[in-house]
Order: sequence, then structure tokens, then C-alpha cells
Amino acid sequence: MHTNQSKPTDKALVDLILLGHVNETAVSIVAANLQAIMGLNTDIRPVLEKPDYAYVPGRNQFDSAKIIKTLCSITGGAPLKLGLIESDLCTPILTFVYGESQLGGKAALVSLHRLSAEDPAVTYQRIAKISLHEVAHLLGIRHCWKTTCLMKHSSNLEPLDSLSIYFCSACEYEIQRHLKTLINRDT
Amino acid sequence: MSSAMQIMVVDDEENICEALAAWFQKDGYGVETAGSGPEALERMQQKPCDVYLVDIKMPGMDGLELLARLKEKQPDVDVIMITAHGSVQTAVEAMKRGACDYLCKPFDPDQLSLLMERVMASKALRDENIVLREQLAEQREAIFDGFVAQSETMQNVFSIIEDVAPSSAPVLITGETGVGKELIAHTIHTLSEQSYGPFVAINCGALSETLLESEIFGHERGAFTGAAKARRGRLEMANNGTLFLDEVGEISNKMQVALLRALEEKKFERLGGSRAIETNFRLISATHQDLPQRIKENQFREDFFYRINVITVPVAPLRERLEDVPALADHFLERYVQETGKRIEGFTQRALGMLMSYSWPGNVRELRNVIERGVVIARGRMIGAKELTFLNTPSAECQLGTLTLREVEISHVRAALEACNWNISHAAKQLGIDRSTLNRKIKLYHMIRP
Repeated sequence: MHTNQSKPTDKALVDLILLGHVNETAVSIVAANLQAIMGLNTDIRPVLEKPDYAYVPGRNQFDSAKIIKTLCSITGGAPLKLGLIESDLCTPILTFVYGESQLGGKAALVSLHRLSAEDPAVTYQRIAKISLHEVAHLLGIRHCWKTTCLMKHSSNLEPLDSLSIYFCSACEYEIQRHLKTLINRDT
Repeated sequence: MSSAMQIMVVDDEENICEALAAWFQKDGYGVETAGSGPEALERMQQKPCDVYLVDIKMPGMDGLELLARLKEKQPDVDVIMITAHGSVQTAVEAMKRGACDYLCKPFDPDQLSLLMERVMASKALRDENIVLREQLAEQREAIFDGFVAQSETMQNVFSIIEDVAPSSAPVLITGETGVGKELIAHTIHTLSEQSYGPFVAINCGALSETLLESEIFGHERGAFTGAAKARRGRLEMANNGTLFLDEVGEISNKMQVALLRALEEKKFERLGGSRAIETNFRLISATHQDLPQRIKENQFREDFFYRINVITVPVAPLRERLEDVPALADHFLERYVQETGKRIEGFTQRALGMLMSYSWPGNVRELRNVIERGVVIARGRMIGAKELTFLNTPSAECQLGTLTLREVEISHVRAALEACNWNISHAAKQLGIDRSTLNRKIKLYHMIRP
């Protein structure tokens, strides 16, 4: 079961927020996959400035936690915010992250920086996978042990590439359950 | 992921606590955070965690002191130290003091994932080990409860077992077929220091010499026709455990020489191999034969005998301890009643008298088979003489005083064979002995099928 089973709604549930310049094709692919695989209507919001407030000079990276806090503070629009950025992200304890999100929260963030491959199709698939994974965390879904499930944790690109772009039936069921709650709460 | 696992992150920097907590929560762990050592200790009192991630540099109580206090209160706890690049030496010091690992911040997501997998796997193994040791300890306590014997002879055997089990000295168990030599060997193993290792048994009388050699020593690929792949032998399998050689008297002289060398040097080569393989096990052997007599007849090597016979455990035949029969009969009755679901309450006085006056050439094994048969054919609430009529054949009656043991045995074996139309399997079952033992007796007494 890979399609949305929850009550259809025309209202966007996810706002895609671009932080500085972001590859347009990648943005479209993320929006299309959120709609097709998770059944989430998605709005692409106007581009925000690059988040210099989160720049970590010694590491030449951006602090994902600080950006997420800013995304959370945005009022109006869809209940979930997914930031996209081309720059490299880190946290105070991790050397890098592909993406970060608040478990059961409001905002998530994905960096395109480390996801590029020689084949653009692979690059876009990686971006879509990380985006779907982080948005599922926003719905409260934790990591899954099943090797075929998109919620399996990937700490580098090799396991990420071997993952399916779909969720296992248990995670899919949980996503739909949380989505219903979100839609009911929002309408 | 494991929801039962609880992790506590202890760091004076709030953003680090938050980042790590968020990471672990997504993996399904229960996460607590504490901003200082004293806070961590206070929270530990309320809710102990399985793993602690502790920053080494904290104001007041530092990571090393907290590590010591955590280990003092919860010795089996896993503590992972978090350190900056400059203080790796301190982290190494922490590991010497019992920390299970350390992470230099910032670290790769891969590093953290691998470390947590390793810690969890190690914890799971430790927990499993604790459970298994507890089970084994319970088994050790219950082991003599499982023995059914009241006679003084058997009480002496138990006493010897208790005395010899803790040492690693080779033991030779002697006694007729069916007295329970393997059960005794197993008991010695369970009570010994090797009990956490394997108990590897081999019946030396059941295999041809070539097969036995391959079974004991193993073989390399291509060692002989049919050896398509290398195979470990029982000597290798028994490493850190117990090797039980049943019917050791059946081993050929050539094999005795090879085994003697392996026992003395604690190393051997597989068949077709040249690499010496080291092994360390406790040897327990058993035989129904009179080995000193076989030595006199040049059928058994004296040096090998003294190597395997450091301690002897002689087990008396059932006819010499008939007082054990009622308890054993009740024990087997209970077992087979449970298995079959029949409602049988016990034995009639007459049946008990028959059991007590029989000579039991097949010993406890024969008694077990007799009770099993009785339970199967019984129609009432009690097992009576009717269910045990086959014990009343002339050969089955105890005729001590008029016939020698050998004569009684010949007569009984022949009667059993005739009753079963010389079907070896059926006759062996009725006698309560193995097919190989029956074949040996047929050969020994020169019995010929009519």
C-alpha cells in the first residue's frame, strides 16, 4: 500500500521552504514524491535568504538545530514545514547530517550537499528519500528495522541507495494514522 | 527498535543533550538527559538507565568521577565517554576505569550508529549469559532431585560424583548396559567447571574403526573417498567442555595409541591434515567390560587404561539394588502416564512383587521399557500381573542359586529372540538393550538363528 488512505484534503499539509538557491528540479521532485507516496499536498513557498545566523565558521557548515528553530517560528501556511538547503548541515555533536527533523514536531530540514551522484536520477532519488524520511519523523514515525523500509536509518549513502523509496506496511499504517489526526486537527 | 533500552545523556551543554536525545528517540530508545553529574546520579536513583553517555569535561563533578560513581552503584552499566579531540588521553584513562568506549565530538553519524549497535549486542549477550547461568545453576541444584535411587550403593555413587565433578581428572564409569552410565557422565559434566562448555558424546561401539577415527579426529577435505569437505571431529567440538567416550572398551589398539597421544599432548591432527589443533576437555569414559581382564588378554592397552581411569565410578546392576525398583517404577510410570494421558494410579502388590523378583539383565533401561509397555497395554487404573506376564517366562524368573549369571543371561536372551521371531530390533527393545549390545551377545554366546 503506497498511496494515501486518509481523508482527502485540498489544503496543503507541507510547506516546502527553500533556504537560498535550491535546484528547481529537486524541489519539484520532493513535492511530487510527498504527494505521490505519502499523499501530502505540498506548497512551495517563496525563497528565504540563506540562514547565515546558523553558520558555524570553524566547520564551514550550518547548524541544523538553529535553522529548524527558525522554521518552527514561521506562522501561517501548512502545519508542517520542510526546509531545503544546498549547503552542508551539522549538529553540535555530529560531523554532518543529510537531514534533521523534530520527532512528532513541526519542522524538518534536508541538505542536498552530500547527496549528489554522477547519475542525476540517483541524486534526485536520494533527495526524495531523505525528504520523505524526515517528514515521516515529523508525523512521529521512528526508525524501522526492516531493511526494505524507508524508515530504516541510513548513516551513509550506500545503505540509503539500497533502500526502497517506500515504507513498510507497518510504518505506512502509522503514517496514515498520524496523518488522519493531523488533518482532523487542522480542519 | 528496542523500546526497553534506556539511555541517559549527561552534558552541561543543553544543545548537545537535545541533539543526542533527538537522535536516540528516533531510534526508539527511551532517553533521559542530565546537565550535571549530581543530577545524573539523582535521576539514576529514580530511574536507572542501561547506557550512559557522559561528557568528560563538566563543571563540578567531571565525567571520570561520575563514571566511578555510576559503576559503584550499578556495576554492569555501560558508560560511553564523550570527549573533545584534545582530551583523548583522558578518555583512554576512562576506559581503563570501566567505560565501554568513547566518542570524540563531533563524530560521524556512522560512528555513533556502529557504537550503539555494538553496545546493544554486547548487552544482549551479557543478559543472555546471565539467564543461561541462572538456568544452569538451577539445573545443578535440581540434578540430584532428578536421580531416582534410594539404595546405599547408589548414594555412594552420588557421593563420588559430587567429589570428582569439580576436578578435571578423567573418570571411568563402569557398569552393565542400561545402568545409566551416560546419565552419570552428564551429571559429572553439569556439576563440573566445564559445564559452560559442550558435552560431546560418542558411542565407540556403534561405529566401525575407520568411521570412529574420522568422528573423533575429524578430517580435511579429500582425506578419503567421500570426504567432500573438511569436518570437525569430536575432540575439537569438546574444546572447553567434556568428551564422553561410551563403550570405550570397543576402541581398537591402534585407535587407543592415537587417542593416548591426543590426550597427553592436548593436540592432534585431523585425518589427512598436518596442522596441529589444540583442544582442552575433560574426559569421561564408560564401559560395561572388565578392562583389567581385557588388558591381561592383550585386548586393551594398559597405558591407555591408566590415562582414562584416574577416578572410577562403579555403578551396580539393578539386581544388586532391587530396593531402587519401586521408586524407579513409580518414576517411569509418572513419565509415561503423562506422555500417554492415561489415568493409571500405580501397581498392584502382585505386580510390584514381580518387578522386585525379576533379575533385570537390561537394568534400568529394561525396567523403563517394561513400564512403558505396561502403561500402553493397561486398561484399568492399576498395572497388575496381567500387564507384566512376559516377566514370568522361565528365562525371566530369577533363578539365582541354581544357574550362573551367564546361563541366566543366555536363556533370557534366547527366549526374547524366540518370542520376537529373531527380530533383533524388537528383541533388543524387549530386553531393554541396544541392537549393537544384542548383536554382541548373540556373537558372544554363539547363538544361531534356527
